[in-house]
Amino acid sequence: MSDTNQSVYADATKAVGEAILELQHVDKFFGTFQALRDINLNVGRQEVVVVIGPSGSGKSTMIRCINRLEEHDGGRIIVDGIELSEDVKNIQEVRRETGMVFQQFNLFPHLTVLDNVTLAPRQVRRMPKSEAEALGMQLLEQVRIPEQAKKYPGQLSGGQQQRVAIARSLAMKPKVMLFDEPTSALDPEMIGEVLDTMKDLARGGMTMIVVTHEMGFAREVADRVVFMADGQIVEVGTPEHFFTSPREDRTKLFLSQIL
Amino acid sequence: MTNAALTGRPARLWVRKNLFRTPLDAVLTVVFGSLSLYVLARLALFVFVNARWEIIERNLKLLLVGRWPADQLDVLVTSVVVLSLWGGVIAGIVAGRQIRKGTSVIAGMTPTQRLSDLGRRFGLVLGTSLLLLLLTNSSGPWLMAGLMLVGGVAGTWSGRRIGVRFLSPIVARAGILIMAAVPIATYAYMVSAVPLAQWEGFIFNLSAAAAGIILSFPLGVVLALGRRSKLKLLKMVSVVYIEFVRGSPLYVLLLLANVSLEFFVPASIAPSKVIRAMVTFTIFTAAYLAEIVRGGLQSVPRGQEEAAKALGLTPAKQMRLIVLPQALRNVIPAQIGQFISLFKDTTLAGLALGIFDLLAGAGVITQQDDFRGQGLIIEALVFVGFLFWVGSFTMSRESQRLERRLGVGTR
Repeated sequence: MSDTNQSVYADATKAVGEAILELQHVDKFFGTFQALRDINLNVGRQEVVVVIGPSGSGKSTMIRCINRLEEHDGGRIIVDGIELSEDVKNIQEVRRETGMVFQQFNLFPHLTVLDNVTLAPRQVRRMPKSEAEALGMQLLEQVRIPEQAKKYPGQLSGGQQQRVAIARSLAMKPKVMLFDEPTSALDPEMIGEVLDTMKDLARGGMTMIVVTHEMGFAREVADRVVFMADGQIVEVGTPEHFFTSPREDRTKLFLSQIL
Repeated sequence: MTNAALTGRPARLWVRKNLFRTPLDAVLTVVFGSLSLYVLARLALFVFVNARWEIIERNLKLLLVGRWPADQLDVLVTSVVVLSLWGGVIAGIVAGRQIRKGTSVIAGMTPTQRLSDLGRRFGLVLGTSLLLLLLTNSSGPWLMAGLMLVGGVAGTWSGRRIGVRFLSPIVARAGILIMAAVPIATYAYMVSAVPLAQWEGFIFNLSAAAAGIILSFPLGVVLALGRRSKLKLLKMVSVVYIEFVRGSPLYVLLLLANVSLEFFVPASIAPSKVIRAMVTFTIFTAAYLAEIVRGGLQSVPRGQEEAAKALGLTPAKQMRLIVLPQALRNVIPAQIGQFISLFKDTTLAGLALGIFDLLAGAGVITQQDDFRGQGLIIEALVFVGFLFWVGSFTMSRESQRLERRLGVGTR
């Protein structure tokens, strides 16, 4: 038992190239319930890590700890050399380095699409308005909806909203992008456009951690797949290894249920 | 039966569908229809035939401005004209900005539509003003109304020209400061001519409501934020304030403001009754606003704050730029409702503090030699009620318009 665990850790901490993100022995409790148990994961620069697992397995909690939307209770989280601690300055810095895309988009409904995208560069990076808007338009073009810039989020389809949300995160020029089930709230016909945007991003060399149920995306884009259950990382591997010859019984069970 | 209903003309069809669908509907329609007709007829008979409106006509000035010194009336006229010019400029700038951003509703209207839109919004106020003007026999009020109209229109015209243009942040900020200074300067000008203690009649009700609204809004927001704060002391102070003030009747607070202040400050520096009334209204309304705003804050989904956090916004900016604007927008109806309450509650100050407000004036004029003992209090009260209704109804309509503009419920 301890042997397999050892090998899992070895696998999980083996980042492709130099690590930009390190999770070391991370624990997280909600009251007495332990949501994360001794999580160890290194993510290399430009690596795409897809996290899968049954609901309640701690996937979202793990990536929400990375930008401190949740506070971890034990272990260390280091993002591009900055360790997350009580220090507000560190937290702000880590949040500037990481972008997050949410399941429910969480666009700001009272701001136009362009204002949603330019808000953070202007308010956090103090970028002049004209420069921020040029950047915003460029990003909206990148996610292929520049014509919606003047509209409000409520006037857009779910897929368009999620692409705006991606553009909004990119506006801070993050080093790591966190995706928390970005396609789970979308109608099936809109999932493709969002996944395509994410694939573009991955091809462009963005470091990404993606919590998703889209196995096709995992197979095609992921450098590594992380399988979580009960707050633990059960198995880590390349998509090829993972989908064809999983080691752990939990993984096999999960894959047999969803595939 | 069904066939007959279907072949009827639209109007008939409507009547049958809505008023006489079942025998019970028919009975209710007849009973309540005749009752309403009776009441309306009696009211019309009173208003247009029997009422002796000369009591209002003769006392119009007293009711509206109390004993405002006759030689200081020009101050009043100047101030009111300046304020309408100011209001016009603000409305114009807002409209101009909307045109620039392409979100303007009125830009797409024909002149006729625009006029009918304005009529729907301000027709009631303008009509009432005209009615009051017709009751006067001097030229001063006409001159004032004319200048107000000119000021408002000129302000809107020039404001729109400023609004469509893109201003550099420095100019824009200076402009905001100037615009904020105008009402304060006007107020100072009026107070220097006629001390607050002599602000009477409808002027008192209007200015007390305006002061209460302007001052209670920021205080209410601060209290709402305080109540949600993680700082224990701030939270406790806010909760105690809100619950204490909400637990007392406004009338009692006003009475306390009247009699208890002498316990704490020497009579020589105790503020005038008008100021006490304004402060009490502010304190009272802020407590209610705080709860309304708190409700608004709770209505903003958690994800909004999380998204703002994830982007690296500081806690203050998360609140100021993301959560608070949405929270306030979500509770516009309740906020305006509170302001309408405050406007009407200013009549309590007459009784509680002995201020000669519109309602007190209505009581006093029925005691004049010419009108005493003739039951003319009804005329006086109908007049007072009508003025408050015009004000409240206009506020309510404008709030609905604001709601639509800001797209509440269309997310």
